[in-house]
Amino acid sequence: MRKLQLLLLALPGLVAGTAAAQVADGSDTMRVGDMQYGNALDPRGWTPMMAGIQEGFSWLHAGMKRTPTGVPYPYPPQADDGTPLAPGSDWTYRGLLQLGYIHLNGDRNAEFFRQYSDWKNGFAPGYLGLMFDNRRTGEYVEFRGSRLSADDQYYRLRAGKYGSYRVEAFYRDMPHTVSTNAFPIWNGIGSNQLTLPASLTPGGSTPAQIAAASAAAPRRTIGLTRTRSGLSLEGELYHGWIGSAAISNEERKGTRLWGGPMFFAFNQLQGGINETVRPIDFSTTDVNLSLRKVGKVWRFVGTYTGSFFRNHKDYLDYQSPFQLQNVVGVPQVANIYQGEFSLEPDNDYHNLRLDLSRELKGNGQFSVAAAWGTMRQNAALRPPVTCTGLLGVDMTPIGGPNYTLPCADWNTPAALSQRNANARIDTGLFDARVNFHPSSSFGWHAGLRWYREDNKTRYLAYNPQTGQYGYISENGSQGSIVPGEVGIFDPRNPLYWSSNVTVRNVPYGYDDTLFELGGDWQPGRRDSLGVVYTFDHNEPKYRERKRVDEHRIKVSWVSRSLGEATLRASYEYARRRGGPYNYDPYAQFFSEALPGFVDPVNGLPAHTVADMRKYDLSDRDESKARLIVTYPFGDATTVSATLYGNRDQYATPIGRQDTRSTGATLQWDWQPSARTTASAYLGIETSHMGVSNVGDSDGGAAGAALGTPGQTNPKLGGPLYPYGNQWWEFDRERNSNAGFTLTHDFGRVRADLNYNYSGSFGHVGYSYATIGALAYREADAAAAAGNAFPDNKYRSNTLELGFNFDFTRRFGMRLFGRRETGSFTDWHYLGFDQTLSYGQRIYTDKGPQHHYGVTMLGAMFNVKL
Amino acid sequence: MRVFPFRPGTLLCAARLCAVIGLLAALPMPGVLAQQAAPAGSSGLSQGDIARMLPATDMGANDARNRDPHLRPVSDSPATPFDAAPIPKNPLAPDADAVGAKTCIACHALENVQASHSLHVASFRVGAAHSGPQAACETCHGPGSLHAKNPAAKGTIIAFTHDGGTPVQAQTQVCLGCHAGGARQHWLGSVHENRGLSCSDCHNPMARLSPEGVLAKPSINEVCSSCHQDIRAKFNRRSHMPLPEGQMACTDCHNPHGTITKPLLKTDTVNETCYACHAEKRGPFLFEHAPVRQNCLNCHDVHGSNQQTLLVAPIPMLCQQCHTMTQHPNDLQSAAGLGKGVSPDERIMGRGCLTCHTNIHGSNNPSGPKFHK
Repeated sequence: MRKLQLLLLALPGLVAGTAAAQVADGSDTMRVGDMQYGNALDPRGWTPMMAGIQEGFSWLHAGMKRTPTGVPYPYPPQADDGTPLAPGSDWTYRGLLQLGYIHLNGDRNAEFFRQYSDWKNGFAPGYLGLMFDNRRTGEYVEFRGSRLSADDQYYRLRAGKYGSYRVEAFYRDMPHTVSTNAFPIWNGIGSNQLTLPASLTPGGSTPAQIAAASAAAPRRTIGLTRTRSGLSLEGELYHGWIGSAAISNEERKGTRLWGGPMFFAFNQLQGGINETVRPIDFSTTDVNLSLRKVGKVWRFVGTYTGSFFRNHKDYLDYQSPFQLQNVVGVPQVANIYQGEFSLEPDNDYHNLRLDLSRELKGNGQFSVAAAWGTMRQNAALRPPVTCTGLLGVDMTPIGGPNYTLPCADWNTPAALSQRNANARIDTGLFDARVNFHPSSSFGWHAGLRWYREDNKTRYLAYNPQTGQYGYISENGSQGSIVPGEVGIFDPRNPLYWSSNVTVRNVPYGYDDTLFELGGDWQPGRRDSLGVVYTFDHNEPKYRERKRVDEHRIKVSWVSRSLGEATLRASYEYARRRGGPYNYDPYAQFFSEALPGFVDPVNGLPAHTVADMRKYDLSDRDESKARLIVTYPFGDATTVSATLYGNRDQYATPIGRQDTRSTGATLQWDWQPSARTTASAYLGIETSHMGVSNVGDSDGGAAGAALGTPGQTNPKLGGPLYPYGNQWWEFDRERNSNAGFTLTHDFGRVRADLNYNYSGSFGHVGYSYATIGALAYREADAAAAAGNAFPDNKYRSNTLELGFNFDFTRRFGMRLFGRRETGSFTDWHYLGFDQTLSYGQRIYTDKGPQHHYGVTMLGAMFNVKL
Repeated sequence: MRVFPFRPGTLLCAARLCAVIGLLAALPMPGVLAQQAAPAGSSGLSQGDIARMLPATDMGANDARNRDPHLRPVSDSPATPFDAAPIPKNPLAPDADAVGAKTCIACHALENVQASHSLHVASFRVGAAHSGPQAACETCHGPGSLHAKNPAAKGTIIAFTHDGGTPVQAQTQVCLGCHAGGARQHWLGSVHENRGLSCSDCHNPMARLSPEGVLAKPSINEVCSSCHQDIRAKFNRRSHMPLPEGQMACTDCHNPHGTITKPLLKTDTVNETCYACHAEKRGPFLFEHAPVRQNCLNCHDVHGSNQQTLLVAPIPMLCQQCHTMTQHPNDLQSAAGLGKGVSPDERIMGRGCLTCHTNIHGSNNPSGPKFHK
């Protein structure tokens, strides 16, 4: 107790130094992003500066000290006092320039090799680090930069004066390769107009013609580059009030794999499936302003965050080559080939947050945070469809109705109930918590958090030109293949007055209230026990449950009493329950809720099976356990291990059943001297997820309930969802990792060796009550169904070897090599390496390469500045 | 700088020698005596004395000191802003007195060299050319007189290392003495505080090991993975965020110093954190997908996944956990539907469901309630 009192006595005085320290701290860890500047050549963005003869840390003891947990601190690099900028100057500088050449050999375009790095053959300005210090005034300027290519580079400048202000500026390009194995058939890749090559006729090509066009398509890389730049300033504004302002801009340009539906192609349907390519052309400007003050008892932080997203290509038009054919065999009067996507609209975001804390007697603190935010967009809406002529099916040749519509009624903004989206979600947050440590051996805390997401977007799908409700499904293709399935509801037209289609948006949102109460107790100086109870009350809007409650209790133990080891163990159990589950809360958003809706003769088919529980709302029991041990052996060796496991059990016959994961890691670090370090690690994790589902009786072996009076029965075991159609699926994964590092300083030569292995194995298996559950029940398909998909495998091996030579104190060289191999299989892409054309389907991406191997050699000349 | 060869055998001798030097150094020296106005305590130095001995700069230090009733008002002090941080009491050595940095450096010579290149200590050293960095060491380590007398006794100085003897709570109190508030506003009650972490588990201000942040390892990700080894392993999976490639850090999304969210997110919710980089997903959209709007983690494992685009399960299994609706969503897909199967099916080939329901994060098209448009 006396120790605690002394601490309390010391605190008010300690606070006095806060203002200066606050300026030095910076607000980085309060802002999202841009905390790390590195690249694949040097992920740390600092390694070249760590080079040099290491002399240890202290003359008084061998080796390095350890963190309180027991992890050894690395040996620091050789301290460099710098060079005076000019004779008599208070400014000194030090730095390092690294220039060299990189040579790649092998599968250098392999997707996994290039995923986030843009390696190039040739000259590479590997690194430039430059630091200027004025030790008299406390002013400093620091620069770091590296460039692998025009799409993979960073430059960061930081300057300021200790305890006074800080200015930062940065520029960086970050690549993200999605596929290097893409063969899109369209012209205009990267634009928002995809047109077919001359060899194909929009809406009139045969599968053979499309396959030929695909085979002739050039290989492309799909990916994007994030170009970010930013500026920030931070400093004391007035009497301990610290202000910061940061602005950043990101230009994101490139392409991504995208879709292009023209209704189904499975089950011999004559729709069209297009895997297209969309453009990425985004600009995002983020603004962050903060003001903070740390007083003796009060602490305040006020933050404004603004984000302004602009999409310069906010739609994608594409031509589909496929000739559509209706299911009733009448002449196709609709020529639907033009598809369109609305891409992400421009949006604005504002968030204002205030945090206030106060020290309390009894070594306590009270904190309150309140925030208000809004995200909005009001983009002009695209017309519901882009076709011309007619859409739909005319069945009059066979004595049926005419289900066609003039595209002109729907391909204009005049077909919209509103011209702009007028979408808005407001958020609110209130958080209050109190912490007390009345004695050094006991503490408790309590917290209450409330958060609301209020979706104010309201949209009615109504065409004032025609008086019809709804939308045009899949560019008009669905209604041009299946008579009547256009997507519209018309209370005046018997052809459409029983069409149950979406007519309103669902403004999802939620209120969440969380209460927490916890305590910790130190029975001795080296052990701590903790327990935390949490009650989470969630009220989702327009979801299957109006209330979801979760009780969670977590116990933890931190021990330093087991020899030199530090042990951290925790176990938590959570029980989630909630209010009544309404399997179909969405009727109000469908045309069935509109006046004039006429029930079909056999009633409306059940929306879904009533026994299904969505996993984010269903009853759930959850257990989690974790043990982290760090054990120092002597001065040089450290072993650390993690054991962990999660178990989730969902109480539902249909939906997610359970998830399990169990894993362990083992790490060995050896640091006998500044000249030699080594480490090795192993990791393994297994996981399992199980789901259950049930097919509806859509004909054939599955029964004949769809279209009969039984279709209104939502129950599992009923005529629409018979037990015979139930099926179960599981995903089992196993991940293993291993690696080692070794560094040794031979004097004028320092060597480093790294090896990493990562492997994953995925197995998706399934079982089913009867073949009624299967998508395909024909004899050959049922026989081929088996009980599992082919296994997925991903392996990666990387071996790196480097030598650093010091020719003189100023000049040196780094020679390095890297060999990376990998293998990959994914059943989603089975056969894609042979063809991307499958009847009425055309794909673009062949998927990652099955095997790849790349060798990289490099030489970097180092100059200490 | 000349580097002397280091031999472990010299350790014991060095320690004994330093203890003697430390005691000698703790005695008032003529140069130091000249600056002492009001001797107090066994070392003869008061906090005010040490504050005045700090180097001269003009960065607002006088303002800070004059506002602090615990410090003597000054109008022409040669102090830095940092000299307003006085020497903390060591709960394990409450009777110790300050001895000044010169005393410390007499033994801790190499530590002095290394620490001088760290931002933390350099800030105390501003203006060293004038009067020297007297108070820097004890501003964090507490008064050093007992340590100087008996260097081997644990707890006589506030230590921040594994075997230093200082309780973790006392360590963090020292750091928070200056660094409370701001990004650490919610340190108390955070999971890292509850799990008994000390600031020096992640930071080492005694050497420049990292480009910034005075970290305990050369990079943020290495610091985090010293405990979160399982998370580090996930970043080696097929789809991951670019941490292994050096483009991102754990602290891009998490504030390890404590926040009002359990996973220490920098924003109020998971989705707001994701939107910070993926602003296009923010919308709001005309037609929303319920799990997307609620929580990105419903479908994505942001630390790494064996599936494409960080998905938590393979498609269509991911979608079929919820989509049991009549007609095509609830069929059991089998190997027969693969590209090489007898009935190729777009629902499982390539990107599966997403080939048609492409705008799955939300559609702004009037014909997009099923995310086809």
